[in-house]
This record gives sequence, structure tokens and C-alpha cells, in this order.
Amino acid sequence: MLVISDLHKSFGDIHALNGCSLSVQRGRMLGFLGPNGAGKTTTMRSIFGLISPDSGSVTWDGQELGSGERLGFGYMPEERGLYPKMRAHDQLSYMGRIHGLTKKEAADSASYWLDRLGLAERHDDAIEALSHGNQQRVQLAAALVHDPALLVLDEPFAGLDPIATETMSEVLDEQTAAGKAVVFSSHQLDLVEDICEDVAIINEGSIVVEGTVKALKDAAPIRHLEVDVDGDARALLETLEGVRSIEVEGSRHNVIIDASSDVRGFLGRAQEAGRLRHFSYTTPSLTDLFREAVQ
Amino acid sequence: MSGFRTAVVVASREIRERSRSKAYRITSILTVLIVLALIIVPSLFGDGTDRYTIGAVGNGNAEIIGAAEAIGNANVEDGADPAVELTLEAYADVSSGETAVQDGKVEALLVDGEKIITKSAGGFGSSSVVGLLQRGASTIRLEGLAAQDPEAAAQVVEILTNDALESVTLSGDDTDRESEGVIAYAGMLMLYIAILVYGTWILSGVTEEKTNRVVEVLLASVKPWQLLAGKIIGIGSLGLAQFGLTIIVAAVAIQATGTLDVPELPLASVVNLILWFALGFLVYAVLFAAAGSLASRMEDAQSTSLPITMLAIAAFFLSIITLDNPDGPVAVIGAFVPLTAPFVVPVRVALDAIPVWQYIVSIAIAAGSIVGLLLLAGRVYAGGLLQYGGRIRLRQAWRSASE
Repeated sequence: MLVISDLHKSFGDIHALNGCSLSVQRGRMLGFLGPNGAGKTTTMRSIFGLISPDSGSVTWDGQELGSGERLGFGYMPEERGLYPKMRAHDQLSYMGRIHGLTKKEAADSASYWLDRLGLAERHDDAIEALSHGNQQRVQLAAALVHDPALLVLDEPFAGLDPIATETMSEVLDEQTAAGKAVVFSSHQLDLVEDICEDVAIINEGSIVVEGTVKALKDAAPIRHLEVDVDGDARALLETLEGVRSIEVEGSRHNVIIDASSDVRGFLGRAQEAGRLRHFSYTTPSLTDLFREAVQ
Repeated sequence: MSGFRTAVVVASREIRERSRSKAYRITSILTVLIVLALIIVPSLFGDGTDRYTIGAVGNGNAEIIGAAEAIGNANVEDGADPAVELTLEAYADVSSGETAVQDGKVEALLVDGEKIITKSAGGFGSSSVVGLLQRGASTIRLEGLAAQDPEAAAQVVEILTNDALESVTLSGDDTDRESEGVIAYAGMLMLYIAILVYGTWILSGVTEEKTNRVVEVLLASVKPWQLLAGKIIGIGSLGLAQFGLTIIVAAVAIQATGTLDVPELPLASVVNLILWFALGFLVYAVLFAAAGSLASRMEDAQSTSLPITMLAIAAFFLSIITLDNPDGPVAVIGAFVPLTAPFVVPVRVALDAIPVWQYIVSIAIAAGSIVGLLLLAGRVYAGGLLQYGGRIRLRQAWRSASE
């Protein structure tokens, strides 16, 4: 298990991390969320010693991290980087070698991952000859080639088409099922809600929400109410207590409401107001939780 | 995994990828071809004989030209090509002869064996011809005197053909020592060229990882010094392979064409030269790597590396000073400064002007500073790593690494 505890890091006057604590368990996938500049990348870089925090610690199975432990981790940084002129297979073999694999192990693993990610025909193509999406696949393979126990991926889904997104999700699922600890940052909250069991939301350098997606949703102090009705919906909504926000798209109203508010009888009143096309009362989406957490 | 293994993996990637690149193959072939051309082409056109045409008006000129030619070829071995070949071209009067000088048809004009007319006082070829002709004329006149007194003539010839003073040195040196100095100097010149040319390769090679942003993935698993050491070893060996190939080709071509006389060197001198070439190259290579780590783009790398280029130039001049005064304070201090030692010590060794302890200490300092500089450069590299955009100030990089 990776445990990050109470990390502080300042760059001049900017407090990038302000007591950030987080843990990632083996066999679990953690979605790491937060607005731009909240400290996601800084946290991930701290895991790899690319940034030395002012205080706090990062441990793996209770051990302080050294270069030996880090060799068993896989990292896909936000700034993607591969050697443009190097062939895909050579590139991956090299990554395997610097993580301690023998020549043969590295070459075999490079072949496996290129085939697995749909690049079987492209082993000998230079990186610069690959499309953006395919370069992204090679970048993912570079993080996986040495079979790491912990995967840290900074925005792995950014810029991927739906097919590539699916492949990426599948691979992350497989890795988690195989007992790896996986953490990735993303702004695609729907996707995170779909594939992650755990989420952590960071804001202004510290974790503001952490837990399983289901528990967080159940425990949330808010509910999501969605109403699509002809007629005067505003007057209708004014009959409710504890409304936190209303978002209107045509006749559809997205309402965030206190979980404690009583919405019994509201469905009946809505039907009286006009033709009711849609009505739902659910636990909040991850997007709702995110907004609540970082506002 | 031992630290050095990683550096070797990095180095072998550099060698594989770069030797595969068209740029490396083309520059290697071009360099060899240019050097070959420089050596072979002149020997195709000239057979080592300087040929001049000398204008002549009146009498008594042919003897002077004949004597001058004999003096010019005095040291040529039997059967070899003559060093000088002078051809006489007769003119009816002085003015037509002068026109020929003016037009460059003849090198000089002799008038009645009494006067020599040239276009101007300067010029490389003509002044040596004029000198030969003067000596030729002197010889003819001495022969005239000798006809009257054969005994005096024999003495005059004796004086003219030998050095008047016997030369003895306290250290018992012979001229081999001198040629070793020349070789050491040539070695310094090659080191200087190698530093400037292949140092730039290392500079851009180190900046490469930052330009294409591979560095973050790499440094998540590789220590900065391992990356830098690997780059220096990889790029350095490729550069030196190209350099060595060029030198070997040049040496073979020189032997084949006989353009230059290369003195033979004792093995110890060769080992000394190679040792210091390696030390010198490594010291500067590490500095270039540090300069590269301060830049995030090639354009910036040029300016961060400028001080190192200046240092190399200064150190090279120091080797010239050392050649003049191998025991002087500049030479002694220079041997202990890792940046200047590679330029100073080999010259002092060649001139037999360095005590053994100084030699050993200078090697220890140079080798130690390579390791020290590598660690320092690694720290600067790690510090400057995640700061993109333009040049990174040394202090800034240093601090950021220490935070």
C-alpha cells in the first residue's frame, strides 16, 4: 500500500501542497481529482522523488521510498515524453532495461505490451511516425513494461478517442484485478465514476474528500434532483426547501438539494404543473460531489 | 541493480540510436573524406618539387641558377625527387624581363649576374628563391676567390657547410626531445578540437531529454548522475570513434603519400598522451553536460556553454605558454587545475619537465574532479529538470535541488 502523509511543499510564495495525505491500496484503483493547480502533479512527482517535499512522508508497505522501491513503480507523467526518433519496441525495451529487466525480459515485455495495446504492426516504427493516440499507448506501455506493483498515471485519458479510452480502462482494470495499486488523475469525472472504486479530491494542496465512490455518494449531504416539465418549473421548485443550486437547460432543471430535504409529494405537484417528461431523485454524481468539494 | 549498470544501459542506448542516425554516418564519412582530400590532393598535384622559372638578361646568370639549384637540393637523397627545380628563361632586354616579372611569368629576373629584380619584397615562394639565388651567387664568387687560393677556399666551404659553434645541452637532449614536444603540442591541438566539436554533441544530447520531455519518466527511475554519465560515455565514445577513425585514416594516408615525416614515439609517450586526452575530454564533457542541463532548448544551451568554450580556449593558450617555459609557475600551477592540466601536463612530460609526484597528483586531481563534477552536474540537472522555458540560472537550479 502506498501511503502519502501530510506532505507540504512550497515553491516560493506558492503553497503547492498543504498537508496532503492519501493512500492507494493494492488491488484498488484510485481516481485522483482536483481543479487545475490543486497539487495533483506535485503529489505524483513527490512519489517519484522528482520533487522533495518540505515535510511529510511517502511510504510503500511501510517502507520509506528509495530508488530501489521506485524501480518497482510505473509512471506516466503529465508531460508526455518519448524519444521521437526511437522505434517503439526499442523505446519500451530501454524503459524495461532502466527498470532493471534483463535484455530478453525487456524485449519480451515490450512485444507483449505493443501487441496488447493494438500496436502489433508498429514495433519498428519511430515514435514520431505514430499518431497522437498511438504515442499515448506507447507512453502507457512505458509505464507498464517492467510490471510495476504501483501505477501512477497523470491524466492518462487526456486527448484519447473513445476506442483508446476503452482500451486504457480495460488495461487499468486488468492491472487492478492482478493486485496492482493504481492511481490516476483525471478531469473526466463520469469516467472516473465508471471505473474507480476509490476517489480522492484535492483542493489547494490538501485532500478534501477521500473514500469509495459509493460510500461518498451515500454519505453526501446533497441529492441530485432532475425535473423536465412543461409549465412554470421555477414556481414549482420554490415549494422545495434546501435547494442549493439550479441549472436550467431548456425545460430540464438540474437541482442540487440538501439530502435532508423532504421531496415527498413533489412528484405529485410536478405532475399538476404540466406534462412531466422526466423526474429523478438520486445520490449526487461525482461531478456534483466535486463541485461541492472545491467550491 | 548497481548504479553503474544503469549508466551503461543509458550509454548503450546512445550508441545504438546515434550510430544508426544518418547524421552520424554522413558526418563520419564526410570528415574522413575531407581529411583524405587534404592529404592526398596536394600530393597528386605536386611531387614535392618546387618549380620556378627565373628570367635572365645578359651573361653570367646560368651559373648562378645552377649553383642555387644545387644548394636547394643539397639534402635530397639519391633517387628522390629534387626539392627545387629552376628553369632559365632568357630575355632580350631588361624592360621585357621586367614585364615578365610584373605579369608573374617568371619568379625573378637576373641581370648580368649582378642584380636581381622581383615584383615586391614580400611573398612566400619568391623570397626563398631569392635567398637560394643569393647563396648561389655567393658560392660562384667564392669559387672565383678559390681559384686564386685553393687552401682558403676549402676553409670557406668548411665554414659555410657546418655550424660555426658546437651545440651541447646540459640535459644531454637530442632532437628527439624536440619532436616529442611537437607531438605533445599536436596532441593538445587534437584534444582542443575534440573538446569543442564533441563537447557540443554532449551539450545538445543532454538538452535532448528536456526538449522532448523524456526526462521526467527517466528520472523517476534513473539517478541524474547515471543519466549524465551514460550520456557522456555513449556520446563521447561515438565522437571519439569518429575522431580516432579520422586520425587513423589520416596517418595511413600520410604514410602512403609521404607528405609529412612523422617521428616515432616511445610507447610511454603514447600512453601518456592517450591518458591525458581521455582525462581532458571527460573533464570538459562533464562541464558541457552540466551546461546542457541548465538549458531546456538547444538555443539556450549555446549560451550556457559559452563560458566552457572560453575556458577551453584559455587552457589551450596555457599549453603554448608551457611549451615555452615548462618549469615556470604557470606550468606548475596549471598541472594541478583539472581544467588546464590536460593541456599542460602532457607538454611538461614531453619536455621532461615534471617531477613524478606532480604527475601523479595531477592525475588524481583530474580524475577526482571528473567524479565530483559529475555529481555536481547531476544535482544541477535534477534541480533544473522541471523548470522549462529558457535558461535556468545556476543558483536557481542548485537551490531547487536542495529544497
